[in-house]
Amino acid sequence: MMDVIQQLREQAKKLLEEKKVDLVIGFGQGTELARTTPVFIDSPEGVSKLTWGPFCANNLAKYLTDYKNAPGNIAVVVKGCDSRSVIRLLDDNQISRDKVVVIGVPCPGQLEWQKVAAEVKPGAVLKETADNGESFSVKTDAGDYSFNKKDYMLHRCLVCENPNPVVADITIGKELPVKTYEERFAEVSELEQMNTEDKNAYWDKQFSRCLRCYACRNVCSVCTCQICVFDQMLPMWVSKRTNLSENTMFHITRAFHVAGRCVDCGECDRVCPMDIPLRKLNQKIHKDLGDLFDSPTPGSKPGIPSALGEFSPGDPEEFM
Amino acid sequence: MEARVVNKGQLPELLDKLAKDYDLIAPVQEETVVLFRKISGGKDAFLEYTNSDVSPKGCFLPQNEKTFNYTYTGDSIEINKPEGAQKAVLFGARPCDIKAITTLDPVFEGEKFGDEYYSSKRENTVIIGLSCSKVLSTCFCYAFEGGPCDGTGSDLLFTEIGDKYYVEVNTEKGKALADAYSQIFSSQGADQLAKDKEELAKKLAGEFVRKVDLTGVKELLDNNFELAFWSGDEQKKCIGCGTCTYVCPTCHCFDIFDYPTGDFDGARLRCWDSCMYPEYTLMAGGHNPRPSRKERVRNRFMHKLKYHLDRYNMVGCVGCGRCVRKCPVNIDITKIINDLKEVAQNA
Amino acid sequence: MPNPTALTPYPVTITKIVDETSDVKTFTVVFDDPDIMDNFGNLPGQVCMLSIFGEGESTISITSAPTRGKFLEFTVKRVGRLTNIMHQMEVGQKFGVRGPYGNWFPFDIMKGKDLFFVGGGFALAPIRSLIDYALSEQHRSEYGKVEILYGSRSYEDLCFKSDLFERWPSLSNTAIYTTVDRGGDNWQGRVGHVPGYVEEVAPSPENKFAIIAGPPIMIKFALPVMEKLGFKNEQIITTLEMRMKCCLGKCGRCNIGSKFVCVDGPVFSLAQLKGMPQEY
Repeated sequence: MMDVIQQLREQAKKLLEEKKVDLVIGFGQGTELARTTPVFIDSPEGVSKLTWGPFCANNLAKYLTDYKNAPGNIAVVVKGCDSRSVIRLLDDNQISRDKVVVIGVPCPGQLEWQKVAAEVKPGAVLKETADNGESFSVKTDAGDYSFNKKDYMLHRCLVCENPNPVVADITIGKELPVKTYEERFAEVSELEQMNTEDKNAYWDKQFSRCLRCYACRNVCSVCTCQICVFDQMLPMWVSKRTNLSENTMFHITRAFHVAGRCVDCGECDRVCPMDIPLRKLNQKIHKDLGDLFDSPTPGSKPGIPSALGEFSPGDPEEFM
Repeated sequence: MEARVVNKGQLPELLDKLAKDYDLIAPVQEETVVLFRKISGGKDAFLEYTNSDVSPKGCFLPQNEKTFNYTYTGDSIEINKPEGAQKAVLFGARPCDIKAITTLDPVFEGEKFGDEYYSSKRENTVIIGLSCSKVLSTCFCYAFEGGPCDGTGSDLLFTEIGDKYYVEVNTEKGKALADAYSQIFSSQGADQLAKDKEELAKKLAGEFVRKVDLTGVKELLDNNFELAFWSGDEQKKCIGCGTCTYVCPTCHCFDIFDYPTGDFDGARLRCWDSCMYPEYTLMAGGHNPRPSRKERVRNRFMHKLKYHLDRYNMVGCVGCGRCVRKCPVNIDITKIINDLKEVAQNA
Repeated sequence: MPNPTALTPYPVTITKIVDETSDVKTFTVVFDDPDIMDNFGNLPGQVCMLSIFGEGESTISITSAPTRGKFLEFTVKRVGRLTNIMHQMEVGQKFGVRGPYGNWFPFDIMKGKDLFFVGGGFALAPIRSLIDYALSEQHRSEYGKVEILYGSRSYEDLCFKSDLFERWPSLSNTAIYTTVDRGGDNWQGRVGHVPGYVEEVAPSPENKFAIIAGPPIMIKFALPVMEKLGFKNEQIITTLEMRMKCCLGKCGRCNIGSKFVCVDGPVFSLAQLKGMPQEY
């Protein structure tokens, strides 16, 4: 990964020096070995903070909406899944194309940092990472480790549709082979096959843990409403109370609100402090969109209208 | 200080007995998450955990608390408060979380007004702590005068030594409970285990990898409200969710609102709220003293590192590390402390 | 032991309603329980939490001085759902009140001094309690000259008209200055903003306290005028507004630095405010 890191820094430096952008949003080393943190670089000297590897789970496209009215241009480092968000935001007119410089990095997968941390000596300092096909090697000052992808990657990476960014002004690193999966919606099918009672019991169990911290909503790159319906005082759709009724309403409503725009980046699932498998809700909708409308994952192909966001007079059903 | 010994093998029996005589709240595992819940017997307790995902502060400040039911027609008012707390035992909380409860005491019991809901639970709950047997890379309780085997705030503190628990009896409340179950709390052999406990505490103290140095930080914050630091990356990357505040054992902010169940009936609820939300300080006329992320992020850390200390002469953070683990974007209070220390040094 | 049942409101009955302006009403209420009324012990500057069960609570300052009798007056501006419901209530109806909360005007250190009140719009309400306290029979001799300078957008927007034009002017050693931003047919008095009028009246800071309350824009322009006139920060007292929920120093939201407006305020001197973070 070292050469990718090198090139990333060079390209970012060039963009800043040539004043093509005022800001580069990328990944920087986090405070745990297996974590990175978003960095906001506004000067060429700062590019040394940029890094890359299998610990770059965040979807940085999220921050584009923060800067849509900023005076200058923004460069953002994106993986394949993140780039779908960029497409979605551009198609939604949330930010104008000429404001964004997309630095795409083909991604072989991201590791779950907690699983890695459990194996690595506490306090070890990261030296280098490398992609070895079926596994990642992680070199630290306390020893070298290997993590096989099947057991240590984020769930969402196991069925990755877009290892290569679908949009990029600058691509860093080699393109990766695209895989197809027969069992892409295996977990959804499992749930679909349950009877109503069991399904209810399953989701009741999950939602009863919800703290309503709204991390899932706030990390979502396509949750862009200026005033979220769940923050409204009048009418108060949900209060600050966490009970099954309100929690369920929040999650199901949000899944439907982003339906057709959710790019399946899986961030909501990653950030949930209570390990609620939120992505299954969105995946169910993706499966249905595919089955009913032949719709690809939103954002995976530029310019494709959102299945639920477009209307033409020739549609078989009425508008409302 | 008194001490007892409990055989590890007898713990399930003790928990079964406690579950019968009290509301017993202990750590449980739900899939991949460890929470504190009321359990009906020893078999439900999950004690092989480092720390829980949500702190046990909910035993005293529940996320949802009904302060009263009301019936209001405009011409008449009826208010019915719930009964006081039942006797309870909180078992298996870690020293950092128990210390955190003691930092909540001055908020709810030491200000000009008390809080019957908090006090009732506090009075009626016996806190049995469980010393840590492992230090995580995200732990830093030592930086805030805590430790993995620290008994501050616990009525009884269990420390696992081999096939026994060394039990420190720290309060009268704890003693009363230990005496009530004297068949399980033995007075023999405690002295030998005392030394083992000290060894364990020393060993664990050496396992911290997170270096946190508060030198000069408080003074810097005392004298500087406006710092360029607060306009930097931390507030840029913060997504404004409430995760840190909800998992934090020392956070205590709440909202109070009415929950009507009919035209005239309903309940008034007190539920957790977060200073990271924009509407937290939003006033009726539209004015917001903390209008952007920068102000809210600054307020959170100044509260933890200064305001709480100013008001109650007690630390506002106990170094449990939950916020570090759970923050979606890796905002880390230990990094902020160390960065502030640098700012202080360079000033 | 501090009052533990502090979150419980007590029923009050409305005994009088005065329409101050088109969107401001003053409610006079009495606690249903006479013991509570007798021992309420509110001091000028303190606030209460008013409960309209089903809607919630609102922090309203007690605009009446305790010296005026065993009742409480709350001046309520209609700004949202809860205040809207209040505005539709009638004499004889009830709502909940808990309190008194917050600190009070430092009337002790003001003894022997002249008092210069500056109020704008709706914000005469929080300082009116001190005005009436100082003008009361029990305490009049403790204070020197009492001057009240008050302004609002128009004549219709002036609150407490009967106090401004009838009750207060009838008292000795008391001067009232009223101004409106926009004149009109039913106003023969001064037209102009409050800060400008203060500059005109030019009160001397000698042996005086200035008590100021008003919308942020008025305060912003009035404070420099006071400073120019020579008032020291310790001589300028104001009362702040913040979003409050518990009023007990527990819910956390009304903090300015290490201080809670609901416990350490809402009354602050300018000297105190300058030593606090400018986050209000």
